[in-house]
Amino acid sequence: MEKHISYIERINNLSRTKAEHTGIKIKRGLNKKSSTSTDLAALDADDKGIIPPPEDFEFKLEPNHPSGGVFGPVACGSNYRKLLENHPVYIDPNSSLAGGYMFNFWEMSNPVKGKSVWNPDFDFSFLKEDQEKYGIIHGIGDPQHFYQDINIGFKLGWKGILEKIRYYKKNNYPSGKDFYKGLEDIVLGIQNWIHRHAVAAEDYSKVEENPVLRENLIEMARINRKLVTEPPETFHEAVQWFAWFIMSSLMYNGNGTGGAIDVFLKPFYDNDKLKGILTDEEAMFHLACLLIKDNEYYQIGGTDINGNDMTNPISFLLLEAAHLLKIPTSIYLRVHEKQDPKLLEKAVEILFEDRNGSPNFVSDENLNSGFIKNGYTIELARQREKCGCHWCNIPGREFTHSDLVKINFVSVFDVTLKEVLNSGNANHSVNNVWDRFVYHLGKAVEVAAKGIDFHIEYMHEIFPELVLDLLCYGSIERGIDASHGSLEFYNLGVDGAGLATVADSFAAIEQKVEIEKCLSWQEIESVLKNNYKDAENIRLMLKNIDRYGSGGSRADEYGVRISSIFTEIVKEKSTPKGFNMIPGIFSWALDTLMGKYIGATPNGRFANEPISHGANPDPGSSDSITALAIAVASIQSGYGNSCPLQLDIDPILGNEKESQGKFIAFIKAFFDLGGTLLNVNILDKKKILDANENPSKYPDLIVRVTGFSTYFAGLSKEWRQLIVNRIIESS
Amino acid sequence: MSQVSGNIFSIQRYSIHDGPGIRTTVFFKGCPLHCFWCHNPESQKSEQEIQVVDFRCIECGLCIKNCPNDARKIVDDKILILKDKCKLCMKCVSVCMSKATEVVGREYTVEELIKKIITDVPFYKRSRGGVTFSGGEPLIQIEFLLECLKECKKNNIHTALDTSGYGTWSKFEKILNFTDLFLYDIKTLDNKKHKKATGVSNKIILENLNRISERNAKIHIRIPLIPNFNDTSKDMEEIANYLKKIKGIELVELLNFHQLGYGKYKNLQRQYLAENLKPIKDERIKELSEIFIKNKFNIKTR
Ligand code: SF4
Ligand code: SF4
Repeated sequence: MEKHISYIERINNLSRTKAEHTGIKIKRGLNKKSSTSTDLAALDADDKGIIPPPEDFEFKLEPNHPSGGVFGPVACGSNYRKLLENHPVYIDPNSSLAGGYMFNFWEMSNPVKGKSVWNPDFDFSFLKEDQEKYGIIHGIGDPQHFYQDINIGFKLGWKGILEKIRYYKKNNYPSGKDFYKGLEDIVLGIQNWIHRHAVAAEDYSKVEENPVLRENLIEMARINRKLVTEPPETFHEAVQWFAWFIMSSLMYNGNGTGGAIDVFLKPFYDNDKLKGILTDEEAMFHLACLLIKDNEYYQIGGTDINGNDMTNPISFLLLEAAHLLKIPTSIYLRVHEKQDPKLLEKAVEILFEDRNGSPNFVSDENLNSGFIKNGYTIELARQREKCGCHWCNIPGREFTHSDLVKINFVSVFDVTLKEVLNSGNANHSVNNVWDRFVYHLGKAVEVAAKGIDFHIEYMHEIFPELVLDLLCYGSIERGIDASHGSLEFYNLGVDGAGLATVADSFAAIEQKVEIEKCLSWQEIESVLKNNYKDAENIRLMLKNIDRYGSGGSRADEYGVRISSIFTEIVKEKSTPKGFNMIPGIFSWALDTLMGKYIGATPNGRFANEPISHGANPDPGSSDSITALAIAVASIQSGYGNSCPLQLDIDPILGNEKESQGKFIAFIKAFFDLGGTLLNVNILDKKKILDANENPSKYPDLIVRVTGFSTYFAGLSKEWRQLIVNRIIESS
Repeated sequence: MSQVSGNIFSIQRYSIHDGPGIRTTVFFKGCPLHCFWCHNPESQKSEQEIQVVDFRCIECGLCIKNCPNDARKIVDDKILILKDKCKLCMKCVSVCMSKATEVVGREYTVEELIKKIITDVPFYKRSRGGVTFSGGEPLIQIEFLLECLKECKKNNIHTALDTSGYGTWSKFEKILNFTDLFLYDIKTLDNKKHKKATGVSNKIILENLNRISERNAKIHIRIPLIPNFNDTSKDMEEIANYLKKIKGIELVELLNFHQLGYGKYKNLQRQYLAENLKPIKDERIKELSEIFIKNKFNIKTR
C-alpha cells in the first residue's frame, strides 16, 4: 500500500493519539499531581506529555529505608536506572521523535503517598507548628524548579557527559563518590532507554507499509543509534536529543523545562539551512513532535546579553506547531521594544484563534530591571529565561526552588484578626490590626526561610536533582548536588498568595466599622465566627465595597501596602543561612486548598472557600480589563519574579485583526505600567457553562487554570466551579 | 476646573468599538430621539432612575420595609418598583446590600469624570485611542460636554463624539474645535420613516452633518441596520449617494441590530418594542455593505 502522508496529517494523528491518552489518564486518575508539600491527596496539575503505561506493566522499586523510601543519590540513581531500563518502548510512526515517558519516579519513590518525598530521619517537626499557623506551603522535599543549560548536552553528548562524570569522580575521589555513582547510573539508564528505541525503530520500519513512515522509522533508528553516545549535529537530532533529556528529567521528578528554544536550536537550524537539508515545514514538524512529548514552558523572542532581539524563524515555527496541534501548551513570549512586531501579532492571533490559553506574555524589561535589584548585572538578567508557571531561571547556573514556597496572606490575616479580637482590649483599630499583620507576616517569612534552609541542607541526601545536575555548571565539577550548593546563584522564590482576600478584608473593616460605623468590631467577630449565618446582608455589605481592582479605592491601597510590606520583609533579610530570597505573588493552583482550613473573612468570603487567586482581584471587582491590569501592575514585587495577571476574556475582544491590534496595545500598556506576566484565558462563556454540566461533551476544551493550560474535562469539580464562578461574577 | 456637572449612566473602559484604539466610552443620560430599537433604554430619560437587577436580588425585603412611599412590592416572585408611587428618594438603593436596586445615572463633576478617563491614558497611548462621549445624546448636556472635551484636549487625549446629530448648530459650533472625531448616526434619508421611528425629523441632522464637514471635521458614519426599517438596498443606496457629496468621511459602519438591550428593558420595567426582531443575516449585511464599497467608502460591519 503506497500512500503519501503529509506532515499535517501526521500532526493530526499525533493530536488524536494525545487526546486518547488524556482520556485514559483522566479515567485512571493519572492526570493529578499526587503530592506536594501540602496535605491534599490530589491536585489539578499541568497536562504534561505523560503517556499512560500499559495496564499490565509492573515495576518494583528497591527501597533502601525502613519507611519504604528510596533515598539518596545511590538509591535514586540505581532505581531510576532500573526504571529506564524497564521502561516500555514508545514509538509512534507518525512522529519524527522516538520515546515517550509514562511515570513520575519521584512520586513512585514516595513512601507516603500524597506528601512530598521526605526521609523521616530528617525531622522538621520543629517548624511544623508555625508552618501550619501561617498556612505556609514550605516546599521542603519538592522538586526544585530550576533548569538545565541544554548546550552542555549538545556539546558533550551522553558519552561526553559520562566521561565528564568519570573524570571528576576520579579527580575528586573520595569526595562525592555516592553522588557520582548516582549520576553515572542515570546516564547509563538513559543510554539504554535510547538504544532500545533505536533497535525498535529499526524493527518497526521493517513492517511499516507506508513508505513515508517507513523512511521516518529508518531515520529515527539511525539518529537514535547515534545519539546513544554522540552529540547532535542536525536540527532533527538536536530536537531528539533535547526530547530525551527533558523526558528523562520530567520522568525523574517532573522537573526541567524547555526554556529559550528559539535560541538553543538556532545554530542547528542555521547550519541545516546552509547545507540545504532542512525546510521550515520539516522544522515545524519536529517541533510539533516535541510539543507532544513536552508541552510546557518554552520562551520565545527574548534578547541576547546585549539586549538585541533573538526572534528568529524558530520562534514562529514553534507557534505554528502549537497552533496546528491544538493541545494545551505553555509558550511564553518575552515582549520587548526591539522585538520583531510580527511575532507578537502572530502570538495574539493564535491566542484568540485557538483559545488554548497560550501563548502567554512576559515583560522583558520589567523582569530584567527587577532582577538587577538583587545586585546582578543586566547581562545576567538577560540570560534569565522565563521557564515556569511564573518563574525565571538562569539555565544551568541558578537554583531557585521557585513557585514552591508560598505564604498564605489569608492565614496570616486570620491569625492576626483572631489575636486582636481576643486580646481583651475593646479599643480595636484597623491600624492596630495592620501592625500585628506586619508582625505576623514577618514571622511567616522567617518560617518559610528556615524551611528553605532545611531543604537545601538535606534534600541532596533524600532526592538529589541527578538529571538536571548533568547539565548544570558546577554539579559534576564539584561533586555536589544543585540543591546543595554546587551552582553559582541561589535566589529562592517566596510567594505570597490571597492578596485580594486580605486587601478587601482590611478595606471592608476600615470602611464599615471605622469610617461609616455601620458595624461594630463585636459584630464583625460574631458574623465571622458564625460564618455569616443569618447575616447575608452584612456579608453583602462587606463584600460590596469598592474592592481591590476597582481602581483608586481603599482596597487598592491595601493591595499595594500588603505587596510592598511583603516585598520589604522578604528583601530585608536573607535566609538564616544567607540565601537570597526573591518575592512574588502567585498561588498556582492552590487557591482551593489554601482556603480550605480558613474561617470566614471580612471580605464576605465564607469559611473554607478558596482564597483569591494570586495577585488577581476577585472576580467582579474590576469594571474592565484595564482596571485589572492597573491593579495587578501596581502590586508587583519587582525583583525579577512575577506577580501574574490572570485574565479571562471573551473571544469577541480579539475576533478580528483590528481588535487583536488593540489587545497588543493592551499588553504593552500593562507592561508600561510595570506588569511582569500576563496569562490569558479566552473563555467562550456559553461553552464553559455547558461543559461544566456535561464535561464529557467537550473532551477537547482547553482552559488556562493559572500558569498552565489543561483540559477542562480533566479538572476536578472544585476547579471547574472556580472557573465558572469567574465567568458568572464578572458578567 | 469647571463646576458644571453632568448625568452619566455608564462608563465603559476598554471600549474597542467606538472609534480608534482602546477607548473609554462615557454614556450621557438623556436623548431627544426615541428609536424603538434602542439598546440603551436607560439612556433615554434625562433624569435619574432606579432599576432592579433581578439576578442579584436576595429577596431580603429591606427595600419594601424601608420605602417611605410604599413603592416597592413583590409581584410574581419579582421585586418591583411602582413607578407612579416612587419619589426617587433612593432610600431603597442605600439599604440594598446586594446592589440589586441600582441608580441609573449619576452626577459627575468634570473633574471626577476626567479623573476616571485619565486612568487609562497608558492604554490610549499604546493604541492611539482616547475617549468617546456617547449616550443618549451628549449634546443635550452641552456645557458639561464642552468642559469635558476641553479638559481632555488639555490632557492630550483624543476625543470622539458619538452623536445622533440632533441638536442646534450652535452646540456643534462650540465643540468643533475640541472634537477630533465624530461618530455620526444616520438612520434613513426618508424623513417620514425617520420621524416615525425616532420621533424627530432628520432635516437638522443632515444639515449639521454638512456643516461639520465644511468645517473639516473627521467623520465616521454609523448606520444601525434595523430589520423592516432601513435594511433595504434603496435606503442604503440613498444614504451612500448622499454621503458621497460630503467630505471628511473616513469610515462607514453598518451596525447590525441586536437584542442585547432586552434585559435592560426588563430591569427598567419598560416595554421593548423590538422584542420580536431578529438580527439581519450576515449575507444580507454583506450585500448592503457592497453598496458602500461600490461608492468607494471604507466600510466596517458589526
Ligand atoms: S433590598 Fe435589594 S436584595 Fe433585598 S429585596 Fe430589595 S432589591 Fe432585593
Ligand atoms: S427610591 Fe424611594 S420612593 Fe422610590 S422605591 Fe426606592 S425607597 Fe421607594
